[in-house]
Amino acid sequence: MTNESPDILRFHDVTIAPDCEDESGISNLNLSLTPGALAIVLLQNEQVRIRLADAAEGLISPAQGTVTFLGEDWQTMAVNRVSAQRGKIGRVFEDERWLSDLDVDQEITLAQRHHTRRPVKEIEQEATQLCRVFSLAGLPGGRPSNVRRQDLQKAACVRAFLGSPILILLENPTVGLYADVIASLINMVHEARQRGAAVLWTTNELDVWNNPRLYATTRWRMLGLPMRMIKEAKETT
Amino acid sequence: MFVGLTEVAVGFQKTLMCVIGGLGDMVWAQWDELRHVAAVIGTILYICVQPRYWVRTVRGAFVRQVVAIGVESVGLVCGMAFFVGITVVVQLEFWVAEAGQSQMLGSLLVAVVARELSPVLIGIIVIVRSGSTMATELGIMKIGGQVHVLNAQGISPFLYLVVPRVLAAAVSTFCLTIVFIFVAFASGYLFGATVGKGSRDLLLLANSVSSAVRPKDMLAILSKSILPAFFAGTSCCIGGLSVSGSLTEVPQATQRALVRSIIGLFVISTVVSFLTYL
Repeated sequence: MTNESPDILRFHDVTIAPDCEDESGISNLNLSLTPGALAIVLLQNEQVRIRLADAAEGLISPAQGTVTFLGEDWQTMAVNRVSAQRGKIGRVFEDERWLSDLDVDQEITLAQRHHTRRPVKEIEQEATQLCRVFSLAGLPGGRPSNVRRQDLQKAACVRAFLGSPILILLENPTVGLYADVIASLINMVHEARQRGAAVLWTTNELDVWNNPRLYATTRWRMLGLPMRMIKEAKETT
Repeated sequence: MFVGLTEVAVGFQKTLMCVIGGLGDMVWAQWDELRHVAAVIGTILYICVQPRYWVRTVRGAFVRQVVAIGVESVGLVCGMAFFVGITVVVQLEFWVAEAGQSQMLGSLLVAVVARELSPVLIGIIVIVRSGSTMATELGIMKIGGQVHVLNAQGISPFLYLVVPRVLAAAVSTFCLTIVFIFVAFASGYLFGATVGKGSRDLLLLANSVSSAVRPKDMLAILSKSILPAFFAGTSCCIGGLSVSGSLTEVPQATQRALVRSIIGLFVISTVVSFLTYL
């Protein structure tokens, strides 16, 4: 990690090629997230998906440009380092995906149990507190197929914020559940930013985009095919 | 006429070259696959001796796999061993007595049941029961994006999904082989003693078997159970994780992995027998 850049995440002139038909590429993206920053990205075409979060985690290689996390380029990091760095990132995935061979509570705590030596009880206590924040009665047990979809969506938020991640990637976290989770999400995002985490929030809901309580440091619109991220002229701070 | 003959010769030569080329491609493809499996097994062995990789989630996954592959198969293995004991052990006891070669009983039981039959039968059980599950499960996880979720959380799918499965397959196969041998001998003795077709002296049988066991028999049982399990586990994991695209690929990948595993089982068993005893 170099000391030159204080950025948590930085896209430097990044171009991403689409992987399949329903995806859009991204061209020449320059974006940086400093500690405490919140970038909201509005996807104006709901039918098209972008792999911004995957690129942010180094899961895909950009066709051009570099993506750095805490000053290190994902492409040049050693394999073990990549895993360890990804352990510092919390994410709500676009399509809810849960491991079929684990109970929901086990999966919520999986990354923390894998990357840290915190006692399991301590992790579970933190997860239970987060569950209450997202108006769940407690840690949801049972296999994902036996848990209500809405509860799974809230559990995904719990998973993303568990363990105080340094970077939080939220991919449409409020779809179908806006009224239920938006207040809790905004509170959690605010809390995370206060402790120095950066947040990248992609959404195709105008309600989120226009929410007056979301004080974003930068706002972007994704336009065209391949998509270009257009920075809004007016920035809120 | 000469022109016609030349054309036939050229056609024959082309066909021959096509056949040889196809054969060569097949051999190279199999060789590449074998190298891939060997590289994965090597990496697993390298990882499994390094404590820093054994984080609690990997340990937990390993225990779950030992339960799924080993513990949950104990009933089936005991059932099979019971019937093998009745058929093979009793037959051997009976015919050895008939031939007046009772002193050979221990050696024959060790060679036939313990050394050759048990590892192969247990290998087949593990491949059919657990190998197919591994390949299908991993294929579905890959298609369903669950492998992607693991990667995104910084949990290496190789470490969390492949290593525990392959090691659990190896450990479970060896343990199940030992269980099989004991149950087969016990059921053979009990059945023979009950129907009066074999020796009624348990100590005599136990002594005959134990004195016939040599160190290289133990080595053969160990390698014949562990090596094919490593190969099968790795093949099935690779087969499952190589799926990309649609769910319909999963059964095909599973089928290919199972065929490869069964072939591997017999080839490895034969090679080990050859190296150990010939």
